[in-house]
Order: sequence, then structure tokens, then C-alpha cells
Amino acid sequence: MIEVSHLTKRYGAHLAVDDLTFTVEQGCIYGLLGPNGAGKSTTMNLLTGYISPTAGTITVDGHDILEEPEAARACIGYLPEQPPLYPDMTVEEYLLFAAELKGVRGRAVRRAQAQKAAARTGLADVYGRLIRNLSKGYRQRVGVAQALLGSPKVIILDEPTVGLDPAQVIEMRRLIRELGRTHTVLLSSHILSEVQAVCSQVLILSHGKLAALGAPESLGAALGRQGVVHVTALGEGSRVLATVRGVPGVENAELTSQQNGEASVTAHTAAGADLRAAISGALAAAGCAVLALTAEAADLEDVFLQLTESEAAADEAEPAQAAGAEAAAKQPGAAQADDAQTDSAPGGKGE
Amino acid sequence: MLAIFKREFRSYFTGMMGPLLTAFLAVGGGLYFYALNLTNGLTDFGYYTLYRTIILFIFYVPVLTMRSFAEERKNRTDQLLLTSPVSVGGIVLGKFFAMCAVFALPCVLYAGMILVLWGLGAGAAAVGGAFACLLCYYLLGCAAIAIGEYISSLTENQIIAAVGSLAAILAAYLMPSLQTLYSTGSTQALVIFLVVLAAAAAAAGLRSKSFALGCGVFCAGTLVLGAAFMLRPAWLVTAFSAVLDALCLFVPFEDFVGLSFSVPALVYYLTVAALFLFLTAQGVEKRRWN
Repeated sequence: MIEVSHLTKRYGAHLAVDDLTFTVEQGCIYGLLGPNGAGKSTTMNLLTGYISPTAGTITVDGHDILEEPEAARACIGYLPEQPPLYPDMTVEEYLLFAAELKGVRGRAVRRAQAQKAAARTGLADVYGRLIRNLSKGYRQRVGVAQALLGSPKVIILDEPTVGLDPAQVIEMRRLIRELGRTHTVLLSSHILSEVQAVCSQVLILSHGKLAALGAPESLGAALGRQGVVHVTALGEGSRVLATVRGVPGVENAELTSQQNGEASVTAHTAAGADLRAAISGALAAAGCAVLALTAEAADLEDVFLQLTESEAAADEAEPAQAAGAEAAAKQPGAAQADDAQTDSAPGGKGE
Repeated sequence: MLAIFKREFRSYFTGMMGPLLTAFLAVGGGLYFYALNLTNGLTDFGYYTLYRTIILFIFYVPVLTMRSFAEERKNRTDQLLLTSPVSVGGIVLGKFFAMCAVFALPCVLYAGMILVLWGLGAGAAAVGGAFACLLCYYLLGCAAIAIGEYISSLTENQIIAAVGSLAAILAAYLMPSLQTLYSTGSTQALVIFLVVLAAAAAAAGLRSKSFALGCGVFCAGTLVLGAAFMLRPAWLVTAFSAVLDALCLFVPFEDFVGLSFSVPALVYYLTVAALFLFLTAQGVEKRRWN
């Protein structure tokens, strides 16, 4: 969908984006992750054609952003870091204007699209109000609604949850996941839990370079991080522990608690392996009924710190290419676990 | 382009800006119209009203144009425009036509005043001349709007844009009298051309980050100017005054005052407008590359 090749952007002596190469596949939600100043916004401005690269090429749906700028931009809906709103317009006027700007033909079609976008982003209540009088959260939603107009194939959102309250953050993530079913979504964030919560693919930027690319869970594996499985089973502690240790692929296991005939064991597994089925099967065979079994989703935080903190890691320049979408598909646990951790997200920068 | 035109035009009338500006020109012109055309019975609307109120442009145009690009950049709404499937040329033209449409409103009122004169018994020649004059007045305004739009695209501060446009239009207004203050010989013309050349060469060298290019431009220009100075010194004087003439934005309008018609004046105003719209589009496009 988007092909980026050797993308470089230089501001005077400052290298904002340094030789970035990656491909965004259709129908996935991509997260662009990096600390402040890593080049996330610059990359997004380059992808949307707001600024032009110093070197390298960007192709959106087969259209080169420099050769056919209008065709390429027509494929993209963009929410910049600061929503581009006209305070003297009402939400309705603004969305109708944005739809016309994006070349949506026909007054009735524009009206229908604007209403649909407003309904999807929860703007129905403020549809007739002046943007000047809206709160930050609503303004952010108007910005997202604007990006949906004209049904672009790719939706690029620069820090979409900044400034939202926790309930709105959850709502925004639900919307992004919903958009991911029909569009290719690329969002940026410096908040790890957010990317882990909604993205199927993660691009980690550090000092303008691509430090890693892959599914959030497999990134840990690619960097040699062990997997962790927590299991609680009915039975004697030593017996449960021995059974878990006996499962091929389990490198280490320890007993964490033992009470009322239930034993909890934490198993450390080889990188990238999913041993939940094997462990539960072995315990069942040993006569210990499994009461609970969870795999710890790979902790992106470790990966992130490892990749972005040390200059050495960034200078390696070899992106850790992890097994992509199929690894993500194998991790239903990650998709279920995410809503639980949404509350840590807001705050951050931009207020 | 149409979307930008409509939004821009409407935005002048959601606030006070459009009505205030329209009232400013209407009252200014109306005072002269009432005092000279109606009370004193003078039928020449072009001379007694339009020509005498042309100084109002010095205030009208900067206030009209100051926000066009500066406000977009300040509010970051330029990100919406520049990432939408609309060409930069379309954005620049959409804004320009919207401002020309706002400026058309007082001109429509002026047209009404001319019709009043006609109704009061002014001759067909006077009425026709007044309409021709109004056409030139409108194009003069559009050319000034293009200059203001260009200056607005250079900054994100509306006040700086307004002051810049005011200075530019004031300089154009005063240029004829400045011209008469300093009579130029060929030596002065050569010196001034060399200074301009040096500035242009320095700009070219800095822009392309090439010392050789800057020096090359300067050397080539110096050779041409030097040869002209040695062989045909009169050319330099003529060229110099031609350049200054081109900067006198308000002078061609005088061709229309007194019931005459001048195609070169119309062409001049259209050329100025086209030149500054082109520069605006180039400037906006160039900012992507910085």
C-alpha cells in the first residue's frame, strides 16, 4: 500500500529521518513508535506529501508522491499532530468543506459522508456547534472525522489519543480497530501500551532510523527475549512444577504460589514459542486440571528501551525483521488483554 | 479550488472583516460621490470618486490579504490544504479569487453609484467612461491583492504580513514622486544595477549552496552591464527608468481617468497579478523542500 525506500529528510544540518525503508501492507494497523524527536511526525508529514523528502521515494497505492502528488494524496486521510481546524466554522461546515476539498462529488454525497464520519467519531451531539467552542477531545475527533472523508485507502493518524480522557482513549482505540477492518491505518505514538493495544505491526523509530519492524509480540522474540507462561493447576506444587518443566521448549519454571491444592507456576519458554497448548496438554495428561493459563504478551517496553536508549542499538541499522502478520494472528491473547491496560495512556505531551 | 474559494469567501463574512472592509471602501467612495458628483453635479465618476479614493487601497488591501496564508500557517490548517488532492496552484487561485470576490462587493456599490448618475441624466459617454474606469480600478485592486497574498505567504504572522503589504503598496504609490526626486545618470544606474546584481548573485549562491554559481552569476552580469555601460550608456538609463515605471502600480490607472481606455494598463495589471500568484505558488511549494 505504501512503499518507502531510502527516505531521508534533512533540516539544515539536522537529520530528521535517516534512510528509512519499509512497506505498509494493506489491511493492517501499523504503529509508528518512538520517543519524542525520533522523527515520527516528520515521517508522517513526508508520507502525506506535506513536506518533500531530501532523498528517497514514497509510493502510495502505486502513485509516487512527487510524480503524481494529487493521486497519491487522494489515497490518504491524515490527522496531523495538531488537528487542522478552522475555529470559525461549525463541525458540519468544516466536514462539508473537507469533503469537497478531498474531491467528494455531489452535495448530497458530501452531506451523507460528513454525517457518517461524525457519527463514527461520536460528534453527532456537537454537529452544529462552532469548532472554537469545542473541548480538546472533541476537536481531536473532528480531526479524525475529517481524515475519514472521501474513504481514503490509508488513514494516517499522528498521535490520535493525545489530550483525550481515559474514556475517550478507549473509544478512540475502538474506532481505530474498527477502521483497521476497512482501511490501512498508520498511527504514531510514544505510548507503548497504546501501540500494543491496537496495532498488528509496529515500526520503532530511533534517531530517525528504523530500529525494528514486526508484530508487537514477535519483536520481543526477535530480540531474543524469552516468552513467559503463567499456569495455575489443581495438584501438588512439586508435581505441577515437574510436569511443566518436562514440556519440551520450557527452559525454566518456578513455583510462585501454592494454596488450597492449587499450584501456580511461571514457565520461561524459548523465544518466539507458544507453549500454552503443550503445557495444558501435559498437565491434563498428568492428571492436574488446568484452572488458568495465560501467556504474557511480549513486553514492548523492554524492546523499546533496548532499541531506543542506546545509540549502539540505533547504529546497528539492521532492523530486526520479525515474522509479520502470521505471528500476530497467532496471538489472540494479546487482543483480549489490551482493553485492560488502556488507562495508562493519556497525559504525555502536547497539552 | 472551488471548495477553498467558498470557504475563504464565507470566512470573511462569518466575522466582521468582510462587512467592515466593504463599508470602509463604500463610505470612502460614497463621501466623494456625494460631495462632488451629486452636490456639485460633476459627472466624471472615475476622476472625482475612484481616482481620489485610490489611496484607500493602502489600508484596504493589507487588511484584506494579511490572513490569507499567514493564518493558515499559524493554525496549521495549511496541513489540511497541502495534504489534500488539490494542487498548490489551485489553493493560491482559490484564495485569490475569494479575495477578489470580497473586493467586488464595494465595486458593485460603485457601479450602483454610476447608475445613479446615469439616472440623474449623465451622458452615455460619461457613464461608459466611468464603467471602464471602474474595470481598471477593479483590476488594479486585484493586482494589489495578489501582491498582498504573496507577502502573506512569506510569514505566519498576520501583523507582519499587513505591515509588509502596506509598505509594498505605499512604496508603489509613492514611486512616481520618488522617481522625480532623483534624476539618474548612466553611472548611478550602473551602480544601482550592480548592487541589485550582487544581491541576486548572493541569493542564488546561498539558495543553491554553490559558491561557483553565485560568482558565475555576478561575473556574467557584470560583463553584460559593463559592456552596456561602455557601448550604449543610454540603455542603462532607459532600462533603469523602465524598471521604476513598472513599480508604479497606480500610474497606469491614470490612463483611464478622463474618459479614455487603455489596453496596456489592463494587461499590466493582469501581468502583475499573474506574476505574484506564480511567486506565491512557488514560495508555498518551495517550503515543502526546506
